[in-house]
Parts: sequence; structure tokens; C-alpha cells
Amino acid sequence: METTKAILVDITKCIGCRSCEQACKELHGFPMETEAKLSVTALTVIEERGDKFVRRMCMHCQDPACASACLVGALKKTAAGPVTYDASKCIGCRYCLVACPFSVPRYEWSKLVPYVKKCDMCAERQAKGQQPACVEACPTGASIVGNREEILEEAERRILNDSKYVKHIYGSEEAGGTSVFFISDVPFEKLGFVAAPRQPLPTLTANALGDTPTVILMGGALLSGLYWITQRRAEVAMAEAQEHSAAAPVRPIDKERS
Amino acid sequence: MTTTRLPRITLWRVIVGLILAAGLYATYARFALGFAQSTHLTDPQPWGLWVGLGTLCGVGLSAGGFAIAAAVYLLGFERYRPVLRASVLISFLGYSTVIAGMMYELGLPWRIWHPIVMWNRSSVLFEVSWCVMLYTSVLALEFSPALVEKIPWVRARQFYLRWHHEILIGLVMAGTLLSSMHQSFLGGLYLITKGKLYPLWYSPYLTTEFYLSAIPAGLAVTIIALYLCVRSLNVRIDVSILSEVSKVIAPLLALWGLFRVVDLVTHDATPYLFMWREETLSFWLEMGLFVIAPVVLLSRDKVRNNPQSLYWTCALVVMGFMANRLNVSITGLQASAGVYYVPKWTEFAATLAVVTAAVMAFRYAVLYLDILPKNPPQKRWMVSNAAAEA
Repeated sequence: METTKAILVDITKCIGCRSCEQACKELHGFPMETEAKLSVTALTVIEERGDKFVRRMCMHCQDPACASACLVGALKKTAAGPVTYDASKCIGCRYCLVACPFSVPRYEWSKLVPYVKKCDMCAERQAKGQQPACVEACPTGASIVGNREEILEEAERRILNDSKYVKHIYGSEEAGGTSVFFISDVPFEKLGFVAAPRQPLPTLTANALGDTPTVILMGGALLSGLYWITQRRAEVAMAEAQEHSAAAPVRPIDKERS
Repeated sequence: MTTTRLPRITLWRVIVGLILAAGLYATYARFALGFAQSTHLTDPQPWGLWVGLGTLCGVGLSAGGFAIAAAVYLLGFERYRPVLRASVLISFLGYSTVIAGMMYELGLPWRIWHPIVMWNRSSVLFEVSWCVMLYTSVLALEFSPALVEKIPWVRARQFYLRWHHEILIGLVMAGTLLSSMHQSFLGGLYLITKGKLYPLWYSPYLTTEFYLSAIPAGLAVTIIALYLCVRSLNVRIDVSILSEVSKVIAPLLALWGLFRVVDLVTHDATPYLFMWREETLSFWLEMGLFVIAPVVLLSRDKVRNNPQSLYWTCALVVMGFMANRLNVSITGLQASAGVYYVPKWTEFAATLAVVTAAVMAFRYAVLYLDILPKNPPQKRWMVSNAAAEA
């Protein structure tokens, strides 16, 4: 997994030039107008929070909730880092939107054949050895890309060597770890970052789902046992009734057994 | 619900007509204009009424079939046998409405078969879709003799019925397992929303809570439907069966309430119980309708033994159940979504039309098949008089 890529966004370095937004839109052929929030035509945006510029995009979780939620496996975490979306599998249930702890995926509500839209970290470009379009376009180095381990080390180096930084790398623990990291000199909650759970979210459902074959075997055995008891009780009741009637001086008419 | 009381009076027919017309427009809006024109769904609120009411309530309220079938065949509660076929039919029609509703809900409904070939075993929704698929087939098979026995060819009929008798216990067991699994997994869908779902509803035991609440709600629906059959379809069943079924409901509801409160207390959600927020109100509405009121009412012999009070109490149970499911799927997610979702009228219309169609199908099935024992035929005016008196 050493080739797993990750992006580091250093909020202290972002000047809000929106080159990343523009590059992303250009690559996908979206209309070039600036948008305030993530949308089906804006897979990354710069949000202004006070005098800070906060880039939003898919966090590319290590163990993504969306991929575990997707019933047809349209969303996948690739070994190279990006979480990708296979539109040809999608049935449009939108459970990924419900599941995402960062509320990132967007849906094409106004289309008749609607799909999910989200950043895929330019998986195709990266496979060809290129950088994600947004990172490549960044003129200040606020966004950088690299191997996940090295990127994490770089983020650690920056926040340890400079006292202005908040001593937390957003994404190192959130949702069990992501492939997009943020470092900042302003507390993250003030910048609109959600306090996502620290464990990988799919573990929450894995426990509940358990082992289906075991459940079926145990449940089947239990139900068969109940059925056996019920049958047995009915047989005993029948036998007792017959004994009774045999002992009785006047035998009731029993058509089947006479 | 009571669309069928007096066939000659046109008021109910007008209402049904209006519902179906509205549903027809909603269908047009959904498929010709898209989600944006037919719903108020947005990215922060991607699941709305069609999931909350159509799927979560639809499946839960259809739990009566498996509960009654398991009670009769596996636990030997022979007393429920007269209402068995009706409850299986109610469940089957319930699941049919859920699947019909899915066609509206899914963005790409023509791909509804994808989960059959594209597997993701770690997805709760995958397990739900398989269970619903299989269980609907089980229900169809369980119910099939009611149709097959109307086949005029004796040999074919007997062959099928004999085969059906052989597999019946297996079917009931499979149905019980599948129902238990997907009723719980529907709650399991929300396990992954940790941090998004409001603490009054998020719980690691959502699966258990959904399972425990589905059984009394499904039984309540069965009682309601049977009561309406007695009132309006000239059906002859011993109403004491209904009051006996209702004896099971109160303890189950109390158990659910207890489980829920203990769960909230042990998960440090106690402060949320009395906060001045909309969620708190919705929570107490749910508890009042689903637990407190029905448990108090059903503990009284007077209520249980009077079909009409029983009917209204069961209506409370159903409303409380719907409040719970809508709270989990909509109210509980509003705060984290940061939007206030009110369904568009076409969302209501589509759901209502599908449910109305199912109610009509149930009515015709009871009228033309041997679902429930019927009184000897009477003149139409006599039936209406009897209904008016009841």
C-alpha cells in the first residue's frame, strides 16, 4: 500500500484564487461559474470562512462508508487511494449520500437519468502518473499530493515545527483515516469541518450484519426446534385424548380409526 | 381505508378516483420531469417520504404475515388459523407496495435487478434487498393456494396443493428467518449514520429496535384490516381472535419502550429527553402514540373486547410506528443536514396512490377468493343496513 496517494491541503497557504475549482471544472467540462457549495458541477469548491479559504472535496476515506453502503458495489476504494464511482452499476438508491460522514456525494436531481457525482481524485490522471488537476493548478502549494505515508509525515512536520498550526491533522483519524488531509491555524470546527466519528464507519454495520450463514443455520435450528416441540405437543395431546376415550365406558365415534 | 363500505355510495369512489388521479400525475412528474419536479429531495436530504414512509413503514407494517404464520405453524397457535390467509395476503400486498414504491424512489429504477448480479456483502442495503426479494417470493408462494384452488382442472390443482403442503413448513421457516433479518437490517441501514443521526434515535441497537417494533405494528395492521373486513365486506370471523392477537401487542410495545429508554439512558442520551427542541417533541409524540397510549388502552379488557375501540387503538399503534420510522429517517437527520425537508405533495400522492391500489386489491381478493369465511349472501340493501348499524 505504499503507493497509496493522498492530498494535503494547508489552509494557511490558500489564497482563495480558485484555480483548483477552475481546473476541476475544465477537466470535467462543467460550466465555469464559481459555486458556493459542492454540487454536481463543482466537485471541489473554496468556501470562505472569515478570512480563511477552505477547500471542500471528497475525503477519500481509507475504509469509506459510501463504498460499504453501496449495495451494487459501484463505489470502490482503489489501492491507489481514490474512491471511484462506476456509473454503469449505480441504481440511484442514494444510500451513499446518507452514509457519507462528510456529506460529500451529490446527486443529479434535475436529470431524468440521474447519477451520483463526486471527486475521484483524478484516478485516471494519477494512473498515468499525472497529478490531480486541482493540485497541479494550485499556484501556492496549498494542495500537494504524494504517497500517503510521506504526506502524513509532511503534515506532521509542519504542525510540529510551526506553533501557529492547530495540533491536529484533519483526516488522520476522522472516519478511521482518509486520503485527504487538512492542516490549519484556526480550529477546524470554526471552519465548518464536521466532528466525524473516529472509527471506520463500515465497522458499525459489519458487527450488525454478522455472519449471514451462521444466522441462517442458528435461526433455522431454533425454528425447527420450536416446530418439533409444537408437533410433539400435538401428538401427545392426541395420544392422551385417545387413551382417555379408550378408558371411557362409552367410546366416542371416531370415524378414522374405527 | 374504508373506501369499500358502501359500494353504491359514490363519495368513497370519488376519493379513490382523486387519489389515483393525483398519483397518476405524480407518476408523470417523477418519470417525465424528474426528482427535482416531483420531490423536495436535496443532497443533504437524499431520502425522504418515499423511503421513510414507503419503504421503512411499508415493510414494518407488513410484518403481520410472518408473525401470524410463525405463530400458527411453528408455535401451534391454532386459534389464529382463520385469519392466517388474510394476514399473509396483507403482507404480500404490503411488500408489493414497497416494491412499487421503489420504482419511484430509485433514480434508475430499470436497474432494480442489479443487486441480483452485482454483490456487495458489506452493504446492509444489499442484504435488505435480497431478503425483501426472497421474502416477497415466499409470501407469494404461501398465498398461492388461494388462487390455485380456483383452477377448474382438478388434477393440476391437487398436484399443486399437495406439493405446496410438502414445502409449507419450509416456506414458513424461511419466511420467519428472512423477515427477522430484514426487519432488523432496515434499522441497520442507519447504523452507518453515526454522528449524523440525532442521539434520541441513533443507537447501536437500531436493528433490535426495528425488529421489536415491527411485530406489534404488523399485528395492529392485521387487526385493522380484519376489522374493516368484518364491517364492510360481509366477512364472518370471531372478533375474539382479534382481541386475542391484541393481547400480544401491549407487552411487545412495553418491551420496546423499555428497551428504548434503557438504551437511551445507557448511551448518555438522557439530557436530550427534555431539551427544548423539535426533536424532543417528535420523540415524545412517538413514545406517546406507540408506547404509552396503546399500552394503557390495551391493558383494559373493555378496550380489547370492543372491536371498535380496539380498531382505534391499533390505529394509534400504526401512527406511533410511522412516527418512529419517520423520526429515524427524516426528523433525526434534519439537524445534521441543516435543511428543513417538507415533502412535496406529489411525494404524498404517489405513496397514497400505491397504498390505495393495494387496499383495492385486498378488497377484491377478499370478495372473490376464499380469504376469509363469508356470511351467506344477502341482498345489497341488507348489507348496507348491517354496516350502518355496526
